[in-house]
Amino acid sequence: MGDKDGKSSPSKKNKKGKDMDELKKEVPITEHKMSIEECCRKFNTDIVQGLTNAKAAEFLIRDGPNCLTPPPTTPEWIKFCRQLFGGFSILLWTGAILCFLAYAIQAATEDEPAGDNLYLGIVLSVVVVVTGCFSYFQEAKSSKIMESFKNMVPQQALVIREGEKMTINAEEVVAGDLVEVKGGDRIPADLRVVSAHGCKVDNSSLTGESEPQSRSPDCTHDNPLETRNVAFFSTNCVEGTARGIVVCTGDRTVMGRIATLTSGLESGKTPIAKEIEHFIHLITGVAVFLGITFFILAVCLGYTWLEAVIFLIGIIVANVPEGLLATVTVCLTLTAKRMAKKNCLVKNLEAVETLGSTSTICSDKTGTLTQNRMTVAHMWFDNQIHEADTTEDQSGASFDKTSASWAALARVAALCNRAVFKAGQDQLPILKRDTAGDASESALLKCIELSCGSVKQIREKNKKVAEIPFNSTNKYQLSVHETEDPNDNRYLLVMKGAPERILDRCTTIIIQGKEQPMDEEMKESFQNAYMELGGLGERVLGFCHLLMPEDQYPKGFAFDCDDVNFTTEGLCFVGLMSMIDPPRAAVPDAVGKCRSAGIKVIMVTGDHPITAKAIAKGVGIISEGNETVEDIASRLNIPVSQVNPRDAKACVIHGTDLKELSQDQMDDILRNHTEIVFARTSPQQKLIIVEGCQRLGAIVAVTGDGVNDSPALKKADIGVAMGISGSDVSKQAADMILLDDNFASIVTGVEEGRLIFDNLKKSIAYTLTSNIPEITPFLLFIIVNIPLPLGTITILCIDLGTDMVPAISLAYEAAESDIMKRQPRNPTRDKLVNERLISIAYGQIGMIQALGGFFSYFVILAENGFLPSILVGIRLNWDDRACNDLEDSYGQQWTYEQRKIVEFTCHTAFFVSIVVVQWADVIVCKTRRNSVFQQGMKNKILIFGLFEETALAAFLSYTPGMDVALRMFPLKPSWWFCAVPYSVLIFVYDEIRKLLIRRNPGGWVERETYY
Amino acid sequence: MFCLTMYVMLQTLDDHKPTWQDRLGTPGMMIRPRGDTMEINTHNTESWDMYTKTLDNFLSPYNNSLQAEKNDECTPDQYFIQADSGDVKNNPKHSCQFNRTLLQECSGLDDHTYGYQAGKPCIIIKLNRVIGMLPGKDGQAPFVTCGAKKEDSDKIGEVAYYPENGIFNLMYYPYYGKKAQVNYSQPLVAIKFLNITLNEDINIECRIISNNIPPGSERDKFAGKVSFKLRINTKQ
Repeated sequence: MGDKDGKSSPSKKNKKGKDMDELKKEVPITEHKMSIEECCRKFNTDIVQGLTNAKAAEFLIRDGPNCLTPPPTTPEWIKFCRQLFGGFSILLWTGAILCFLAYAIQAATEDEPAGDNLYLGIVLSVVVVVTGCFSYFQEAKSSKIMESFKNMVPQQALVIREGEKMTINAEEVVAGDLVEVKGGDRIPADLRVVSAHGCKVDNSSLTGESEPQSRSPDCTHDNPLETRNVAFFSTNCVEGTARGIVVCTGDRTVMGRIATLTSGLESGKTPIAKEIEHFIHLITGVAVFLGITFFILAVCLGYTWLEAVIFLIGIIVANVPEGLLATVTVCLTLTAKRMAKKNCLVKNLEAVETLGSTSTICSDKTGTLTQNRMTVAHMWFDNQIHEADTTEDQSGASFDKTSASWAALARVAALCNRAVFKAGQDQLPILKRDTAGDASESALLKCIELSCGSVKQIREKNKKVAEIPFNSTNKYQLSVHETEDPNDNRYLLVMKGAPERILDRCTTIIIQGKEQPMDEEMKESFQNAYMELGGLGERVLGFCHLLMPEDQYPKGFAFDCDDVNFTTEGLCFVGLMSMIDPPRAAVPDAVGKCRSAGIKVIMVTGDHPITAKAIAKGVGIISEGNETVEDIASRLNIPVSQVNPRDAKACVIHGTDLKELSQDQMDDILRNHTEIVFARTSPQQKLIIVEGCQRLGAIVAVTGDGVNDSPALKKADIGVAMGISGSDVSKQAADMILLDDNFASIVTGVEEGRLIFDNLKKSIAYTLTSNIPEITPFLLFIIVNIPLPLGTITILCIDLGTDMVPAISLAYEAAESDIMKRQPRNPTRDKLVNERLISIAYGQIGMIQALGGFFSYFVILAENGFLPSILVGIRLNWDDRACNDLEDSYGQQWTYEQRKIVEFTCHTAFFVSIVVVQWADVIVCKTRRNSVFQQGMKNKILIFGLFEETALAAFLSYTPGMDVALRMFPLKPSWWFCAVPYSVLIFVYDEIRKLLIRRNPGGWVERETYY
Repeated sequence: MFCLTMYVMLQTLDDHKPTWQDRLGTPGMMIRPRGDTMEINTHNTESWDMYTKTLDNFLSPYNNSLQAEKNDECTPDQYFIQADSGDVKNNPKHSCQFNRTLLQECSGLDDHTYGYQAGKPCIIIKLNRVIGMLPGKDGQAPFVTCGAKKEDSDKIGEVAYYPENGIFNLMYYPYYGKKAQVNYSQPLVAIKFLNITLNEDINIECRIISNNIPPGSERDKFAGKVSFKLRINTKQ
């Protein structure tokens, strides 16, 4: 992508960078501010006739087809190569190449070169290829290529050209075309509306807010995203019809810009990839240091240069932990699987850990924190605010339903309501049912259905005789019904709408079922209730009714709704109902957990500041008792400018203010406020917020579901998309998908991520430890000329055989303490592998292991007649094929083959000893601070691992034919026990170390050895 | 810790006999002069001079005078067993004489060139020492037999063995280890190729024949057998 272009030409990269900056700026549409005539002039079009066919064809050639450039997909083989040559694999490849090089040198200089280096090189290559394939298929399974942007382009569009309506392929729509859309259509391009009839569009794919917005020809806002007279490409027209002039097509549309921005963004390396890189540096450092040291030593000892080079390569390669790549991959895969079970689908293996490192979560509001469903939250009747149950499972508290006022309010809400349940959902719980109708009415419908039973029956009993639908000038909706009582011939007029408009029409109010005159006191308490509910960020509706006097409106009265021939004044106020998209039940708890885990949760939403703040307070993003600057100002009754911003921990920032902020101011806000809400943000601003957090060194997770979130999702260290409500685009840009749309699953992700980070440390400590007993034999072989104590094949048996399962089993280890109670790790200080880990693994446990191995080696040689005293310097004769009467300490004589069998038996015993000491190592690696006795041995996989490695070692040693196949020989039973004292020593040593760490927190032992 | 365990381990070892000898079931065989290929030219002294020197060196401890001085004369054809009486070690143990003269024409005493000059070279064969090994049961001594590999079988000619029949006399067994039996003289067998085909590579293999020495494994070319290539050039 951008990266590739950059390599081919630097100038192009600059251009690309400039483009990206350009894209991050706000939408440059200005047509909404122009008059229709200006607009027509600009596009050389006619408001009635549309474009001429010739012009359209010309524009089509000039601008290209009206479709989005699909995001450049990476060819499969490049992805495969990335798996094959990325990160850790490089280390192994280097090792393999060095092996082949050493073999080539040997082949060129010796008659019968030892095959060891060749085999090692081959095995290393095989390991890389196999693990590469494994992770490739793992990822291919999780991430399907979704060409979602492409799918969003509508297939057909109705345009007017040369005065004729014609249906053309949407791709052929050009700027200046006159387009007609109706309910159910997808908008074919960005339109400047020129005329509309009850047109409502659903901008959710762009803004994340699913509330339909009406469209009209008037410019209502300077911001093109807010104004009513622009309809956007690939959003939906829900109802009504509209006609508009196309102002942008294809990639130049608002949606196209987001798409291009998203696919142009480079997401950086994952934290775990950085950690592995750091680890490789450390390992390489140690390997090269050891290699060079012994190279110099070897030269000093009189080896030839070539021999010394072979030793150098041998030592460097021996430092490569062959099995670790596979171990890490498997550990991550296991965690990914475990997370998938808990509804977190991870698309990119490395992202498994990222949530654990996350220090900031930027969460979208609608659909992520909230249920994305308007629900009645409060009611005001009988001069009192009542709280409705907004939980998803109706487990919350209910209110007193016995009041006659409530019965009246419910009746008005049920009757003055056009929403209906869609058919065939009777078995579903009421809240889950689909409705036809607008969000507020659906909310009322569900609320009444829940508390008063079937709305359908109520409506059947009170037949509707007339109706005036809602419009923006009246700001009310009314309908006239027959009453329930067949003897009562009066008509019932019910009305709902903006509370202040409703109040204006009322002269009385129902209190406890009795009509009372509306006095000033009542009006004031109405105002207070209205303010309070509005302050909660809720949408408030007022309700009133009137039983029409029979003398004026007898039965059969012809109500005329167009030319209103009945009274709409002097009504009786019934109550207020307020609605909100309530937070999901699990969210406050999840936010609290993130808080205690030291993760800053920022809300970034396209919704209004008041609603956003209310929800933020509801879910704990702004915690109780924390105030914004505005809150402090209103509490102290001083102007906002006099409040010290440092006093306010919380803040709510409006998108338009955000636009004005400089980078420093932005950093200042992010640094100094712990509880931040960004409201009315555009997709570009979301991206800027994410970048701001990253600039401050935070590892940022972004959750979101809409297309508007996708640039931020892509830019984030880990983008989390919603599986059910999320758009395909957001899912594609994300690294992780919450299958149940539940923000609480993020907490699971954080927990799993932190756990795997800790457990990877343990796995690596365990795996690295056995490196020392693997290298030291070779070093001593060079330096003191003893027969080789451990061969290449046995080393591979350890690294790729016996060590594997125990190392992987550490991934199943339970957390030592409450990992959700500590701060997120600091990426600059808390490394996956640090010097202390290397020092423990290599310097301490590893050394004890090496001694254990050497002990078995000396035991076997001594028991066969070669006492340690004659071993030093024996190597030249020992490895001389022509010497077939080598004398041992007892005077016996050995042929070459006989003593080689003893040597290979030593290799086997050394190998078994490493298995035995690794028993202790895996047990001590289970914990980093706690004692094993505190932690327990509950990890069944680990216990299985212990048995498995032992069984494998026995199998390798005793299976007939292994002497030929792997040059491993059966051991006498007593030789199995040689390393046991060392195993015990390791256990005791490490328990004491951990005891000291626990006894003296922050003491010397902790500073020097806690990894 | 390491020193402690090493010390404990070393304490468990016997001074005179290693704990395990199972890898030495079939003793190895070696020839002197060493090497798997011998090419000599009868006219060129330098081509075999080093071999005779090696043999001179190798055989010098077997000089009759030296043997008589250090070792005992034993009863032939039976094992020379010097048992310990319980915990009291019967040390040092005596060794039997193996006089250089037993090798007769290959002793290098009469013919200082060991037949190399005449194109009838001597090769000395020895069996590796293994503590406590009692080769040949029922009084049948193990002996060496040499032959050519298949395609060369008609070219090897007559082979003479010294001592008689190429036997390792039973009285040299068992071996008690270099600490107990300091002056042990390893028995030898010399072979002499009397009319080997000249100017050609000949592959020769010698094996030990004994009724209680198992044939060595296929992989070990020196267990109970030894092979080498011989070429005697007569052209100048």
